[in-house]
Amino acid sequence: MKRTPVLRALAVGVGLALLGACSSGGSSNEADPSTSASGGAKDVTITWWHNSNTDPGMSYYAKVAKDFEAANPGVTIKVSAMQHEDMLTKLDAAFQSDDAPDIYMERGGGELADHVEAGLTKDISESAKDVIDKIGGSVAGWQVDGKTYALPFSVGVVGFWYNKALFEQAGITETPTSWDDLYADIDKIKAAGIEPISVGAGDKWPAAHYWYQFALRECSQQVLTDAVKSLEFSDPCFIKAGEDLQKVIAAKPFNKGFLSTPAQTGPTSASGLLATGKVAMEMQGHWEPGVMQGLTEDKKGLGENTGWFSFPSVQGGQGDPAAQLGGGDAWAVSQKAPDQAVEFVKYLLSDEVQKGFAEQDMGLPTNSTASQYVSDPALAGLLKVRDAAPYVQLYFDTAFGSAVGGAMNDEIALMFAGKASPQDIVDATQQAADAEK
Amino acid sequence: MRLEILFFVAPALLVFLFFVVWPIIKAVQFSVYRWKGYGPLVDFVGLKNYASVLQNEVFTDAFMHNITIVVFSILIQLPLGLAIALLLNRKMWGQSALRTIIFVPYVLAEVIAGVVWFQLLQPQYGVIDTILSAIGLHGPEEGWLGTPDVALYTVIAVLTWKYLGLAVILFLAGLQGVPEELYEAASIDGATWWQVQRKITIPLLGPTIRTWAFLSMIGSLQLFDMVWILTGGGPANSTTTMATFLITEGTKRSNYGIASAASVILFVVALVMALLYQYFVLRRDSQDAPRNKRAKR
Amino acid sequence: MSAGMMTDAVAAPKRQATHTRRIKRHGGGSPLIYLIALVVVGFTVGPVLYGVLGGFRTNAQLADKPAALPSPWVLSNYTGVLTNPSFWHYAVNSTVIALLTTTIVVVFGMMAAYPLARYKFRGREPLFLVFVLGLLFPATVAIIPLFILITKDLNMGNTWWGVALPQAAFALPMTVVILRPFLMALPNELEEAALLDGASRIGFFWRILVPLSGPGMVTVGVLAFVGSWNAYLLPLLLLQDDMKTLPLGVADFSSEHASDTAGVFAFTTLAMIPALVFFLALQKRIVNGLQGAVKG
Repeated sequence: MKRTPVLRALAVGVGLALLGACSSGGSSNEADPSTSASGGAKDVTITWWHNSNTDPGMSYYAKVAKDFEAANPGVTIKVSAMQHEDMLTKLDAAFQSDDAPDIYMERGGGELADHVEAGLTKDISESAKDVIDKIGGSVAGWQVDGKTYALPFSVGVVGFWYNKALFEQAGITETPTSWDDLYADIDKIKAAGIEPISVGAGDKWPAAHYWYQFALRECSQQVLTDAVKSLEFSDPCFIKAGEDLQKVIAAKPFNKGFLSTPAQTGPTSASGLLATGKVAMEMQGHWEPGVMQGLTEDKKGLGENTGWFSFPSVQGGQGDPAAQLGGGDAWAVSQKAPDQAVEFVKYLLSDEVQKGFAEQDMGLPTNSTASQYVSDPALAGLLKVRDAAPYVQLYFDTAFGSAVGGAMNDEIALMFAGKASPQDIVDATQQAADAEK
Repeated sequence: MRLEILFFVAPALLVFLFFVVWPIIKAVQFSVYRWKGYGPLVDFVGLKNYASVLQNEVFTDAFMHNITIVVFSILIQLPLGLAIALLLNRKMWGQSALRTIIFVPYVLAEVIAGVVWFQLLQPQYGVIDTILSAIGLHGPEEGWLGTPDVALYTVIAVLTWKYLGLAVILFLAGLQGVPEELYEAASIDGATWWQVQRKITIPLLGPTIRTWAFLSMIGSLQLFDMVWILTGGGPANSTTTMATFLITEGTKRSNYGIASAASVILFVVALVMALLYQYFVLRRDSQDAPRNKRAKR
Repeated sequence: MSAGMMTDAVAAPKRQATHTRRIKRHGGGSPLIYLIALVVVGFTVGPVLYGVLGGFRTNAQLADKPAALPSPWVLSNYTGVLTNPSFWHYAVNSTVIALLTTTIVVVFGMMAAYPLARYKFRGREPLFLVFVLGLLFPATVAIIPLFILITKDLNMGNTWWGVALPQAAFALPMTVVILRPFLMALPNELEEAALLDGASRIGFFWRILVPLSGPGMVTVGVLAFVGSWNAYLLPLLLLQDDMKTLPLGVADFSSEHASDTAGVFAFTTLAMIPALVFFLALQKRIVNGLQGAVKG
């Protein structure tokens, strides 16, 4: 899955703010020279895998690592910036061979629970207590049985990104708040000769997000919380979610060839179609502006035409219309990593590093003091919605773990191809869940 | 002599046992556990993984896709490859250049070929659709790789492009082994070119064709790279193969037990097909071989 | 192949007659045949050529007219790739790994095929069968156990040998299966004569068998080289950063520069050149070698 931000933000201006961050960089961590000295020749090397393999993210993280090394003599950080898919493949293999990097990205939910159960991930509840307190509620997705195993550095929510110019061209003045509005807008956009929505159903998870969103609107919070724990999907609201989705598919709002459209690779991907003005909107996570910037030659994405609105409400749904579907990425420390790795992760969540992170539009910082530095107006709007949400439901496939989530996504993708019914989705999910029990 | 045999065989055998056989044995071991890919193997489930693979519609569909690819590869590439080989075996201008060109796709990495074809096959913006619309035709509405009913055949077409060259080169090689005397005799008898091909060349090419068909069959059963790059098994699971199924289950879902069970099943399928083929088809060659050899001397 | 060898050696005088007759038999090519040949060529090189030419265009040109010639021709895509140090790292890695793989496959495969072809001993057929069975098991199946073995047990992750050894191991079955009939077909008289002259079997192997098997070795060597050059999954798991091979580089490049279609075309084009050149240089010998291989 490529759900994390592909962090292809602006090339300009990594400089000054970061330099500021550097100079004060080491101050917040406690590896003072005397301890290092008393440690004598005990030099440690920390391995760190991240997926910001394009600039400015890559240079930014390289710099962050250098700053930490400078402030902590004896510590060497070996940074590996990888392409996201590669990183996931390698992480799997590395866990398998007990050769995990000291610091890696953790998406929370069932995946984290598996890692914790296998004893791969370090409990940092105590060692990073101050940071955890500071981040607050966002940490919840990375806790197992009350213990914290990773520090989220970017948490966002999924909604519709749209092209303001195309909406205007179709005569749409206000963003839709209910699905009835949205259906009317889809007709207007079609009438203007524009493809309304792109969806990367080839990668399955962008398609699955529609079902998640409808389930979030149809099901009460209690039902969803219980489902994550008990892996039972008998509540009729799950069927209703499927019916809602069928209705959308029947309205044919999607781009040509959506069944094989990739999510965010290349100009003909779902994100690429939006970025190049070929479709009016796409439902995607908070990383979308960064992705779009990487997909256009001028590196600007939709630029000023970027707009965002949250998933519209459904009539008669049991869910809170303000609830959001979301998730994010966190830094986790593997079980056998040296203590300095925890210090480095804390540094990554520090005001300075998160500030730089926000200023580069690399994601949505979880450190509240950094939120104000998010410059992109669409992202700032999204951030407000995130903070106003009564709860943020973690993506189902992440929450349920890859085995159940994968089966679920598969079946939802089949519905997009007209080959699965609402009942089929529930059945396939339940079947995979039962195999887990 | 024992020592000599050992000396000659040991290096290959050791490398083979160490890097092929041992991992395979481990895969068989994994297949009877429920295992997420890390931590100790403790959750023994017997043959449950096998049952769940065989009951999984995605896997049975994938199996049928493999069979479809096996059949189409042979049905398309055999006559086409044979025709091109016979054509190229004639004396003609640019012959050696032709031979080289036709082998080019086979030499390309599947990743490279896949990346290029993926671009060509894009709906609307791809060059194939552009050319079609220029002559008043149009491709499938959802694209060549995006329409469930078409995608598998698109993949087969790309595979044909990639592997036809191998068939041609093998057939050409076989053709060069046909003794000239036979042609001589035939032309004295006044046989036409086509009669010569049908009565002499093609039958003599039998062993080559059978060997090629065997290689093609095994390759089709194990197909992974090209499908992975072009469609990833989609849309709507319409191009999954047994290999993409097991990689999806393994690396994407961390169901290593189930993935291993699928890999063992894939192995058994290939083995059974190979044995049947050996028994019914290839056996003729090994029986014929000594006679042929004597005749040639 | 044996027959070919023999006729080459024994029946040299017949050659000329063959030549003149050949022309009569085939009678040149009719226009129709050239037309068919042209279609075949178009189908074969069309996509490759499109990629090559696409590298000479700009993205704007590609988006505007997907099917057109470069106008104007731009070199920046190609120079951009050629001045990218990563490209050269990838190329060196691919080359070294392919050469290591090929060497292991040819040397070990030849050695193993020799007794399997020309010694008579109990267990010969079962031993051969072990290799044949290896043909049926794709590397994808054993990839995770293999990964553990290489990275953890042997500590050879992210090294050239760590990729070359398992690749060679998976190429060995094909090699043995191709070489055995090849060696079997060499006339017994050669061996008898050599042994009468007092040569040991090992001496016979080195001084007579190996030189005579050149074409067969070229064939399996090229198959191994191409296999290694094209490999994707195993290098993906085992290699990182500067150790990556070209296919990984292509995949990386096409996702990192996804909007730069022309750049992707340039990168893929340059990545395919070495294998093509290698193949072109050896093309004649490969065909000769395959002849022996498929005739059995």
